[in-house]
This record gives sequence, structure tokens and C-alpha cells, in this order.
Amino acid sequence: MTNRIVNHPVLGELTNQTSVTFTFDGQTYEGFEGDTIASALLANGIRQLRVHEGTGAPRAIYCNIGHCFECRVTVNDTQIVRACMTPIQQQMVIESGKMQPAPFKASPEEWPRTYAEFEKMNEHHKEGVPHG
Amino acid sequence: MVDVVIIGAGPAGLSAAIACRESNLDVLVIDEFPKPGGRLLGQLHQEPNGEWWNGIEETKALLAKAEKLNTMIQCEVSCHHLEKIEAGYKVHTNRGLFETKNVLLATGAAETAAPIPGWTLPGVMSIGAAQVMTNVHRVRVGKKGIVVGVNVLSAAIARELQLAGVELHSMALPVSNPVTKDHAHPGKVMEGLVRIAHLAPSAFLRFGSKFAKVDWVRNLAVKFYPKGGVKMWGMPIHIRKAIVQINGADQVESVTMCDITPEGEVIRGSEKTIAVDFVCIAGGLYPLTELASVIGCPFQYVEELGGHVPIHNEQMETPLEGLYVAGNITGIESAKVARAQGTLAGYSIAKQNDKIQQAMKEVKSIREAATIQFHPEIAAGRSKVEKAFHEYIVS
Amino acid sequence: MDQTIICRCEEVSLEDIQQTASRYNCSAREVKLRTRAGMGYCGGRTCRPAVDAVLEAVTGERAGHDIPLKVQPPVRPVSLSVLGGESR
Repeated sequence: MTNRIVNHPVLGELTNQTSVTFTFDGQTYEGFEGDTIASALLANGIRQLRVHEGTGAPRAIYCNIGHCFECRVTVNDTQIVRACMTPIQQQMVIESGKMQPAPFKASPEEWPRTYAEFEKMNEHHKEGVPHG
Repeated sequence: MVDVVIIGAGPAGLSAAIACRESNLDVLVIDEFPKPGGRLLGQLHQEPNGEWWNGIEETKALLAKAEKLNTMIQCEVSCHHLEKIEAGYKVHTNRGLFETKNVLLATGAAETAAPIPGWTLPGVMSIGAAQVMTNVHRVRVGKKGIVVGVNVLSAAIARELQLAGVELHSMALPVSNPVTKDHAHPGKVMEGLVRIAHLAPSAFLRFGSKFAKVDWVRNLAVKFYPKGGVKMWGMPIHIRKAIVQINGADQVESVTMCDITPEGEVIRGSEKTIAVDFVCIAGGLYPLTELASVIGCPFQYVEELGGHVPIHNEQMETPLEGLYVAGNITGIESAKVARAQGTLAGYSIAKQNDKIQQAMKEVKSIREAATIQFHPEIAAGRSKVEKAFHEYIVS
Repeated sequence: MDQTIICRCEEVSLEDIQQTASRYNCSAREVKLRTRAGMGYCGGRTCRPAVDAVLEAVTGERAGHDIPLKVQPPVRPVSLSVLGGESR
């Protein structure tokens, strides 16, 4: 937890913290009891919490108080959990938000108009798969 | 069925709960955040008399009073809908339904975005986000950053970051676009700076605070603003430079800064790249009113108060029976005002007529003595809402 | 024209909003429905004032006393199990 502010001239020293172990995308990290998922991850230098479902653009906390939903992650198989509002817990399994197929976002020209076109596109995709 | 559900455990909600419990009402306070205190938790600044305003300690004091009165406070409870029923209201939450005779909306404020290119990159956050990370969670938001947006809130929080040992390159304006417009206009920003000048131990700004109330002096100050910025606590504040772009592949790596004219237009060829790993965006605050809207409370748009506010009277009652408001949902002001408004709302809910008058006076005197003012015409804004309330009741 | 993202949830740019508003000469409500600005997970909490500001610049339509696009419940995303919850 390299980003922890241990000493503070007014708020004092951070002492007697209880450590909490959790995983994020399969990696094990430690946070402090009282941390949110977002603060525990940031304390470990982890910023990116998800990618935009449609564009794949990386995203992290923005408002940090539950308004913007930019920090939504999957926690113990529950989706759309706000990392900034959820206390970290021992053995929590957290997954970042992934890109999702979003056909409604594609432009109409990219859609196959006939079954033959669909087949052709399918063939095209197969060619791209490396042979094992 | 309880007597009152208070939505929001910030300074307004907690004070209201205390006033209601003193009057023996059945109270339930709910809040989304894991800890009570709301935005008060993150606050930390030095008053002109040298004393520290420490939000964590202020919250502790409120909680101690609330606990002594056996107040029920539930955190991690999100309200997503509010419904009118015969006997009062149904409060829909992630932890089930609560039925109550009265509701107090103390939901506070949300931050206004100041969108600039690259602001969705990891490492870019609202200024309030950085405040909570720093003072509440005690986590450094980055190694070196820049604050985009110069106003009362961002200056106070920039100072808090400094105190925690987080390095800031400077504060500068956002590039001008239809959203950032006033925040990107050096003249308008200067007007705001004059209001926070007393916070700064800087000769230039003290000069500003005395004389910059006169238009032509202020215009001169904008025109001849020092290239190196004016330093506040050793950190340059630029009002003639704007951040036009935040750069980085997967997270913030740098920002592009440009010189701007006194009107906020970018001067071509002045681009400079500044290496930072975080950016705080400060576009100000607006009242968070969605639950008032859902329940059908009428609104008034009042610029002085930060935007749309639910119509209410001097005693924090809305035109809907049993629906009350307190704190920043009624207009953007300091936590001290929110706290006093909460006490007032609590007495209103408990119908403690003798105490209401005193509490109303208290709100007014705290407002007048406020060291941090978000808008110079708060009192005028307040009168507009009260007038709207009385007109609404008559019609 | 400007590619700056205004609505983060739906990645709607300033240009998208400006073009939609001037092409269809439409109300705030219609722009939001056409571009999906303010219709994402956050329910418009982050971009609502920003979208209103862009519309004001394009259409000259100033924010009235009514909130431009009425807030609909739920104001937070909720799971179906929560919606079926019992009264306490």
C-alpha cells in the first residue's frame, strides 16, 4: 500500500489499522478495514476499475461519493457495485468491468443484410483465428 | 411506521436527527456511504482566527450527541424512490421499504462537471473525490497533479492536498466551451477569487480583496495577471492559463496548458506539456434534488443557490405535507449553515414552535458570519425561494 | 466542432449534442432521447447541468423553474430482487 498517507500534520498519524486481504482480477491485495474497494485499490496503485462497455475506454473513480457510477465493478458475482461506496471485506473477490458486445452501437453499414453476407463475415472472422 | 426518515447523514441530516430525538420522535437516518458524516467528513481548513475546522472531529461531535439520544442511523442504504401514501411516505431502498409520517431530504450536493478533452481517463477525478480519498481514506490520489477550475471549493481542497503532502503543479482554468464558459473566463474567475482572498496569505490577493471590488481594478488585475501565476500557500494559481487537453494512453500522463486572453480564448502557439499523473476537475456544486423531483415537489431555478432547488419556506417545509429539506439540497452553502438548517428542520418536524424561531435566527446569523461564501447573493437567493413558496401556497 | 465527451456514461460528445440540437431544432428532452446523453447508469447526475448548458448555447432555451428532463425513479440502479422487496 504505497499510496497511504500515514502522517498528517492536522489529522495525525494513521495507526492500529487492521489489514484486509482481497482479490482484484485474480491478483491478491491488502487494504485496511474501513477502506472502500476504491480506496483499497488506489492505496495499492490500482486506478483502472473497468473499461467502457461499448468503447473499451479505461475508467476509474470520478466522483468518489456514489453519484457517477464510473467505478462500478463486480463483487462476489454481484454486478454494478460501486467501488467507492462499498467497504472492502476479507476474501472479497472483485472483478473489473469488461467490454460487452453492443450491436446497437454499431453503424448500420457494418451489419450483414443477407444470410450470405453473414456467412462471409463469419468466414472472415474464422480466418483471423490462429491455428493451434 | 416511524415519525421521520432522514435521507442523508451529513451535517444537516445528523443535526435534524438530534433535534427530532430531543423532541422524542421516532427517527431513522439513512445514508449511502459506509460512514455517517457526508461531505463534512472530508473538510479541513483553517479559520481566519487560526483554529482548524476538522470535519472528522465535527462529525464525531454530532454522532456523540445522536448516539446519546439513541438515534437510529443506517449506512450503506441507498434510497431510489419516494412515494406518497395516506399516512405519509414510503421510502424505497436497497434494504427494503420504510414507511414514515415525515421525510427530510438532506441529500446535499453533487459536483458540476467541467468537461475537457481527456477527462474520462483514469487519474482524472472531481476535486471532491480527491478530498475524500485524502482526508477520509488517507490515500494519495497520485504523485503530482494539477487542479482544473479555480473557485472557493477547489482552493480549499488544493490546500488540503498540500497539507497531506500531495504535490500540486498549480491551479488553472478549464479550456472554454459551452459548459465550462464562466469557469473558463478569467474576469469571472477573478470575481470569485476576490471572495476567497482572505484565505490567502498573499499580498497580491489581499490587495485584490480590498480594491478588486471596483470593476476597473479587477480588469487591470486580469489584464496584467503575472505570467507565473499568483501564489497561494506557495502554489501558483493561474487565471490566464487553461488546460486544453489531458493526455495519456491508459491513465493520465500529462496535460496541455495554454495561455488565454482576458476573455478566455486560447492563444495559439502557447501550448506547453506538463507531466502530471492526476487531474482534479472543479466545476462547483449544485443541489442534489432528484428525490424531491421524483415525489413531485415544485422547483425554483435560483442561480445564487447553485441551480434548481425544491421550493421551501423559512422553516424548511416544502409545499408537500410532511416533506422537509435541509442542507445543500436547499442551496450551496457551508457545512455550518447546513448544520443550523438541520436543527431548524428537526424542530419544524417536531412542531417545537418555541424553538423554531430561535433556530431560524441561528441560521441567519451563521449565514452572515460565514467565512466561505459560495455566492455573494445567497440571501437574495433565499428570499426568492421563500417568495416562491408563499406564491405556490396561495395559488 | 468538439469531440469533448459530455456524457461519460454513454460517451456522447459536445459535437453530438450540438449537431442533434441544431439539426432537429429540438427540446432538451428530445436531445437527450436522441443522443442518450444523461440516460446512462448515473441517471444524468454527472452531466445534467452540462447538457443543459450546451442546449442553452445552441437553442437559447434557458433552464426554467421545472427540471428540464423530469427525474424518474429509480434514481439508483436497483436489482429486481430489491424491487420485489417486502415492507418493513
